[in-house]
Amino acid sequence: MGKYIVKRILYILVVFLILSLMIFLIYNMLPVDKAMEKAREEAQNPANRNNPNFNIDERYAFWQEKLGLNGNKFERYLRWLGVYPYVDGTFNGLLQGNLGESFKYARPVSEVLVEPMKNTIFINIFATILALGITIPLGIFCAVKRGSKRDLAVQVGTVIGYSLPTFIIAIVFIWLFSVTLEWFPVSGMATAGSLDWSPAKQFWDKMYHLCLPLMVMTFCSLGGMTRYVRASMTEALSMDCIRTARAKGLREKTVVYSHAWKNALIPIVTLVIGWFLGIFSGSLMIENIFSLNGVGKVYFDALQNNDNDIVLALQMFYIFISLAGNLLIDIAYGFVDPRVRVNK
Amino acid sequence: MNEQNKKTPSKAGAILRTPFRWIGRMFFGASKSMANDPFAVEKLESPSKMAVKEFFRRKVAVVALVVLVALFLFVFVGSLFIPMDLSYTDTLQANIPPNYSMRRVPKELKDNIREINGFSNFTVGVSHDNTLYMWGHTNNALSNQDYAAFPEEIQPGKVLTASAGYNHVIAITTDGKVVGWGDNTRGQYGTANEADNLLQMPDLILNGTLDPAKVQQLVCGYQATALVYDGQLYMWGNCNALTNMKQLLAASETYCQENNTRVAKVVLSNYYGVVLFENGAMTGSNMLFNRESAMSSTGEKVKNFTTYIFDKKLVDIAATNNCFAFLLESGEVLVAGAAEFGEQDIAPIPEGEKYVSLAGGTRHFVGVTDAGKAYAWGHNDKGQAEINGQAATTVYAGAKQTYLVNGEDDLTESFGLKGYLFGTDNRGRDTFTRIVHGGKMTMTIGAVAVIVSSIIAIIVGCLSGYFGGWVDMLLMRITEIFSAIPFLPFAMMLSMIIRFYPISDTMRIFIIMIILGLLSWTGLARMIRGQVLAEREKEFVIAAQSMGVKEHLIAFKHILPNVISVILVSMTLDFAGCLLTESSLSYLGFGVQQPQPTWGNMLNGANNSIVIQNYWWQWVFPSIFLSLATISINVIGDTLRDVLDPKSSREK
Repeated sequence: MGKYIVKRILYILVVFLILSLMIFLIYNMLPVDKAMEKAREEAQNPANRNNPNFNIDERYAFWQEKLGLNGNKFERYLRWLGVYPYVDGTFNGLLQGNLGESFKYARPVSEVLVEPMKNTIFINIFATILALGITIPLGIFCAVKRGSKRDLAVQVGTVIGYSLPTFIIAIVFIWLFSVTLEWFPVSGMATAGSLDWSPAKQFWDKMYHLCLPLMVMTFCSLGGMTRYVRASMTEALSMDCIRTARAKGLREKTVVYSHAWKNALIPIVTLVIGWFLGIFSGSLMIENIFSLNGVGKVYFDALQNNDNDIVLALQMFYIFISLAGNLLIDIAYGFVDPRVRVNK
Repeated sequence: MNEQNKKTPSKAGAILRTPFRWIGRMFFGASKSMANDPFAVEKLESPSKMAVKEFFRRKVAVVALVVLVALFLFVFVGSLFIPMDLSYTDTLQANIPPNYSMRRVPKELKDNIREINGFSNFTVGVSHDNTLYMWGHTNNALSNQDYAAFPEEIQPGKVLTASAGYNHVIAITTDGKVVGWGDNTRGQYGTANEADNLLQMPDLILNGTLDPAKVQQLVCGYQATALVYDGQLYMWGNCNALTNMKQLLAASETYCQENNTRVAKVVLSNYYGVVLFENGAMTGSNMLFNRESAMSSTGEKVKNFTTYIFDKKLVDIAATNNCFAFLLESGEVLVAGAAEFGEQDIAPIPEGEKYVSLAGGTRHFVGVTDAGKAYAWGHNDKGQAEINGQAATTVYAGAKQTYLVNGEDDLTESFGLKGYLFGTDNRGRDTFTRIVHGGKMTMTIGAVAVIVSSIIAIIVGCLSGYFGGWVDMLLMRITEIFSAIPFLPFAMMLSMIIRFYPISDTMRIFIIMIILGLLSWTGLARMIRGQVLAEREKEFVIAAQSMGVKEHLIAFKHILPNVISVILVSMTLDFAGCLLTESSLSYLGFGVQQPQPTWGNMLNGANNSIVIQNYWWQWVFPSIFLSLATISINVIGDTLRDVLDPKSSREK
C-alpha cells in the first residue's frame, strides 16, 4: 500500500508539472505586462516627469528583472516554480511559498486567499455533510422499495433535480425564501455593522446568511447523488450473496445495511470524493450568486480585474485539488473494499 | 470487402455514409437482404429495433421526446420566422411584463374617439361623452404604481382631455380642474421639491379652475407637461428631462407680445419642446436647429433650417423622441433632429395630394393628406409605420402604435406594437424573440460541443482500447491530465483570454464551442475504451484479423458499431451537460456575450432581488425553456440507456 501511494504521488507530481506548465503558458497569453504597468506608473509620477534622466525603457527593463519577467516563457515558468533564479540570484517561487502578489489588494496572494479559503472549505464541508445525510438514506430507501410509487416520485424528482442548473435553483430559492417569505437575506455573509458583535453572535449571523446558499448547494447535489446511491444499491441487492443472506434467514435490515451496503459503498466512495472535490469549483457559482467571500468569488473578481497572480494561483489550487482527489479515491478503495488490490 | 468497394464509389462518400449506416442498422435491422425476405423479418428482430419499440412503450420518454422535438422546431424554425435585430435597444420599452393589450382600444371608445394620446407604454383616450379610457402596460412593477387606478376626480363623463407621459398622467375635468397621477417625484404634478431643477405647476393650474372652453391642448413628455390654455403656454415638470422648458416659456411669451399672436400648439420630444404660433411661426431650441440635419419632403437637405422657414407659414408640428416634423402651408414636410431610425425618410405621396396634418410616436411620424389618406415613415420595428395610403381623416400616434380614425371619429384601423408575449428585458428587447434566438444559440453550442467531444472521445477510446500497450498508456495519461482540469474555472480563464484578442463574435462563439468540447471528452473516452477492451476479445474480431483487414479498420469499422449504443446514450446525456455548462458560463458572463442571446446570459441580469421580485418574466421564461430542454434530454438519455442495456431490461 505504502509503495503504491508513493508511486501515485510521484505520478501526480509529474501530471501537476505538465498541467502547471500548460496553464502557465495559457495564462501568459493574457495581454498584461506588469513591468510595463509599473514603469508607466513611475513615469506618471510628477517627480519623474520633469527628470531628464528618467528613461522609461530603462525602468521597464529594471522592473522586468525585478519581477522576473525577463527571459523566455520557459524561464519564467521555472522562476514561478522556484527552481530558476532571478537576476539577483535568489529563488522566489512556488517552492518557496510565494504565489505572487495581488494587483488589486497589493498584498501577497497567499495572504489574500486565507480568509476566502476558510469560508469555501467551511461551506463545502457543511454542504457535503448535509447532502450525504439526505441522499444516502434516500438512495437506500429507493433501492429497497424499487418500483414502488414512492420510488417513482423520488426518481422524477431526481431527474428534475439534476437537470436544472445551479443558478436556476438559486434564483427560485431566492425568490421563494428571500423575496416572498423573507426568511433569509438575499446575499452576503454578515449583517452590516456586525463586526463589533460577540464572536458567538457573529457566528450565528454567518450561519444565518449561509442558510440559503447551503440549501441550494444541498438541493443541487440531491438529484445526482440519490440516483447514484440508488443505482449502486440496486446492483448490490441483486448479488448472489444477498440471496444467500436472505436464504440464511437474516433479518432484512441486516441484509440491507450490512451486506448490501458494504458492496454498494465502493462506487459511492468514488462518487463522494469526486463530488466533494468537484464542488470546490462548483461552489464558484454559489459564491458568486450569493456574493459570499470564498475563493470562487475571489477567482471571479480576479479574472474580471486582470489580477493575474490570483488567477494562476487559484487555477493551480483547483488542479491540485482534483489530482489529490484522484489519489484519495484510489486509497479509499483499499480501505472500503479489501478485495481491491491497490498494491499490484 | 469486395462487395463494399463496389457499393462505395468514393472514399469521401463512404466516410459520410458509414455513420448513417450504423444508425440505420441500429434502428431498422441489420441488412437489406434480410428486410427483403418476409420470413426473416418475422423471425429476426434486431435488438435495436426492440429497443426502439421498448422506448416508445414508455410514456414519459415519449413525452420528453415530443417536448424536445417541439423545442428544436421552436428555436430553429422559429428563428427563421422571427427576425432579431441584435443592436436593438429601447429604454422606453424596458421591463414591460407580458402584456398584449397595448393596442387594444376599449370597445366603448372605438366609435366615439375625441383624442388618443400616449408617450410610453400606456395610452389614454377620451371619448366624446367625456369618459377617460386607458390601455396598455399601466402597472409599473418597480414603483408599484397603477396608472389605471384613476383618482376620484376622474369619473366617467367628467373628463375633458387627458395626456399620458412617461410615468405620469395629467387630465383636465369638465369642471376645469387639472388632475395628475402616477409618479410625481420630478414635479410632474402637484408640488415638488424646490431644490431640484424643475418647474413647479403654475398656481392657476394647481389651485385654480380652468375654463373648459379655453383649453386648447394638453401634452405630456418624459417627465414634463405642457398646456396651451387661452393662447398661452404653461409648462411644468423636470427641467433635466425637458431641457429647454424655461427658454421656451420666455420665448413664447415675448413672441406673442411682440407679434400679437397666440400659441397654437406645442409638441415635446424627449429633450426639447417646440411651440407653434397661430401666425404660423414657431420657436424651439436653437441647439436643435443649428445642426445641418433637416430634411425636406422634396428630398433635399435643408442647409440652414432657421433661414429656410423664416418667411414660410407652418401649419402643423409633431415630435418623436429625437426629431421634430414641420408641416408648411405648401404641404412640404421638414424633419429636423437626430434621426436614427429613418425619421427623415419622409413617406412620398402621390402627385396631387398634400399633407394636412402630422402626428408623431416615439420613433415614427404619420401624416394625413388632403385626400384623406395616411402615410407613415420612421422606425417600423413593430409595424407602426406600415401605413401607406389607408383612409383616415385623423391619426393618433401612441409610442409605437398608430390609430387611424375616420370622419365620424370611429377607429378604422390600428397599427404597431400590441405588446410582448413574454415581456421585455432591461434594455427593452423582446424576451420571446430572445428566447427563440437564444435557444438556437444554446442548442447549437451544445450540439457542436458534444460532437467535438464525442469525436475526440471515439478516436482516443477506440485507439486506446484496441491497441493497448504504449498507445493505451499514453492516451490514458493524456485523458487523466485533461480530466484533472477543473472545468468551470478553466473555461472561464480561456474565455477571458479570447476576449482580449480581436476576433469576430461568431469566431468567439465557435471557440467557446471548441473549449466546451475539448474539456468534456474524458469520461466518454474511458467508457469507450472499456467497451472496446471487452469487444476486442470476441470472435468476429479474430475473424476480421484473419481475413487481413487492416488494424485501424477493425477498430473503427468493426468494433465501433458494437459500442455505438454506449456512445449514443452518453452523447445524449452529454448534450444536456453541455447545455448546462454553456448556460452556466454565460450566466457568469464568461460565455457568449451580450447582445447575442443565449438562455444562460438572458438570466445574467436576474441575480439581484429587484429583478427576481419585480421582473419575474425576465427569469421565469428562460429558466423554463432551459429546464424543459435539459430535463427532456436527460429523460430521453436515461430511457435510452435502460432500453439499450439488455441487463436492465431483463430486470424489468
